[in-house]
Amino acid sequence: MPSLNITLVSGPPGAGKTTWIRQQVNSAAETAVYLNLGSGNTPIDSTYLATEVAGLTVLPVEQLTDFLAQPLVGSAVYVELGFHIDLTSLILPDQMADCQRVTVLPPATRQTEWRNWADLVVTGVKTGMALSQPHLWRSVLSGQVLDLASLNTFWYELTHGAYGTVQRAKGIFDVADGRSLYFDFVAGLAETTYLELNLPLWCNGRPDRFSGIEVVGEALDQEAIAETIKACCLEDHVIAYYQQQIKDSLEPGDEVA
Amino acid sequence: MKIAVMSCIHGNYEALNAVLSDIDDHNVDKIYCLGDLVGYGPHPNAVVEMIRALDIPTCQGCWDEDIVEGLNACECSYPSVLAEKRGKLAHEWTNQVIYPEVRQYLAQLPLSLRDDNLCFVHGSPHNQHEYLLPEVDAFVAMERVLTTGADILFCGHTHVPYVRSLDASQMQIRVKLADKSEQETSFSAPLKRIVNAGSVGEPRHGRPNATYVIYDANTDQITLREVEYDYEKTCAAIIEKGLPPIFAWRLARGMEFAERADDPTHVCER
Repeated sequence: MPSLNITLVSGPPGAGKTTWIRQQVNSAAETAVYLNLGSGNTPIDSTYLATEVAGLTVLPVEQLTDFLAQPLVGSAVYVELGFHIDLTSLILPDQMADCQRVTVLPPATRQTEWRNWADLVVTGVKTGMALSQPHLWRSVLSGQVLDLASLNTFWYELTHGAYGTVQRAKGIFDVADGRSLYFDFVAGLAETTYLELNLPLWCNGRPDRFSGIEVVGEALDQEAIAETIKACCLEDHVIAYYQQQIKDSLEPGDEVA
Repeated sequence: MKIAVMSCIHGNYEALNAVLSDIDDHNVDKIYCLGDLVGYGPHPNAVVEMIRALDIPTCQGCWDEDIVEGLNACECSYPSVLAEKRGKLAHEWTNQVIYPEVRQYLAQLPLSLRDDNLCFVHGSPHNQHEYLLPEVDAFVAMERVLTTGADILFCGHTHVPYVRSLDASQMQIRVKLADKSEQETSFSAPLKRIVNAGSVGEPRHGRPNATYVIYDANTDQITLREVEYDYEKTCAAIIEKGLPPIFAWRLARGMEFAERADDPTHVCER
């Protein structure tokens, strides 16, 4: 059995776990494998890293057992743990027992459960808010196409407290012009614009690829969030109209799906 | 003569009362209103009744027209799918609660008003749905004022107050004649101004305060007024009346209930 170079990465929402992993992968010569535990059916970080980091293999959770039986020799394996996972009761396969444990924490935080668990504490970004009882809300939006102007309005409202106190929000959205956009918000950090993911323009029906949203906060009005997102979504005939415009404007060599 | 000009009250009775009170403190001779008495806000009937009771000359706004004629918006009315859906919710709610006599009053409002060298419209002289944004092309802006024959054009609709002076305007027209010769004519326009009164009940300048303008014809001075009021009372009424709570959230931040088109080159096609 070959020994595996596995790193478990934990930390509170928005501290910079995914960013740290991305930095490690980018700075290493070896190939890397990424696994996210706790993202459930909204693999936002996995989708983001898969499209943005060359040389990274994203491993679905359901393939973990097979992977451990026949691992990619020489690859670094990064396993990101959702903030909501109880580290004390986390049971890992035997092959992962020998791993390195890294926690990414905002500066000057005293989250002892993470410190006690970790072999290495990495100082992440300073977030503007620490919630006593953070609540996690997620929604899969695969197949939906959103109007970008509406999405911008919704995102502004969401991240400025219209639907409750938001500490962290991230999402991947398909928009009318065929692009897949990554939105990322951490309370207290400078406002950022969205990132266009390195994916082909989608111009044939409803997108058959992942999109979704994840929000961490307190007193979240989940119903209002869901209703507003629904109000941003386009109907079939509108999607078809925009997709025809995309096709008409394509240049030779443009990649489409 | 000193006049006060207000616009875009949008059913916000608290804001209207505060503005009327502020106007009282400034000894104006006459008040003009540029329309949009109703829509989005929780007290459309009370606002119209107050305007009527005070006999304030008022021109018809786009929302006033929509409540009479039904929704038939050009794309400039709604810059996003979300804004359109919210606008329709507000329209349907207002349409249900409005009194018949209020609807009748809105139906008979004129599209523009004149007072000597002053002209009053809601959006632009062409259309109450058209936005005269402060950055609109100078030629278009001048054309809109010249078409009225007035020296000062008072408008609203954008919800952001501004004063724009159009001075030293020169236009040159070159006409190619049948014999292929060219004829060139130059025009010089005297000073013209566009004054946007902002919004009493649905501000969009980043604060919840109501805005309106005072014009003193004797001194030719234009003053943009910003008036604080108990906006939380309006926010509570929005929720109590069953309007979307997001309207209250946006009002409290001076963000308008639904954003308007940002394209200054757009010409309304309604």
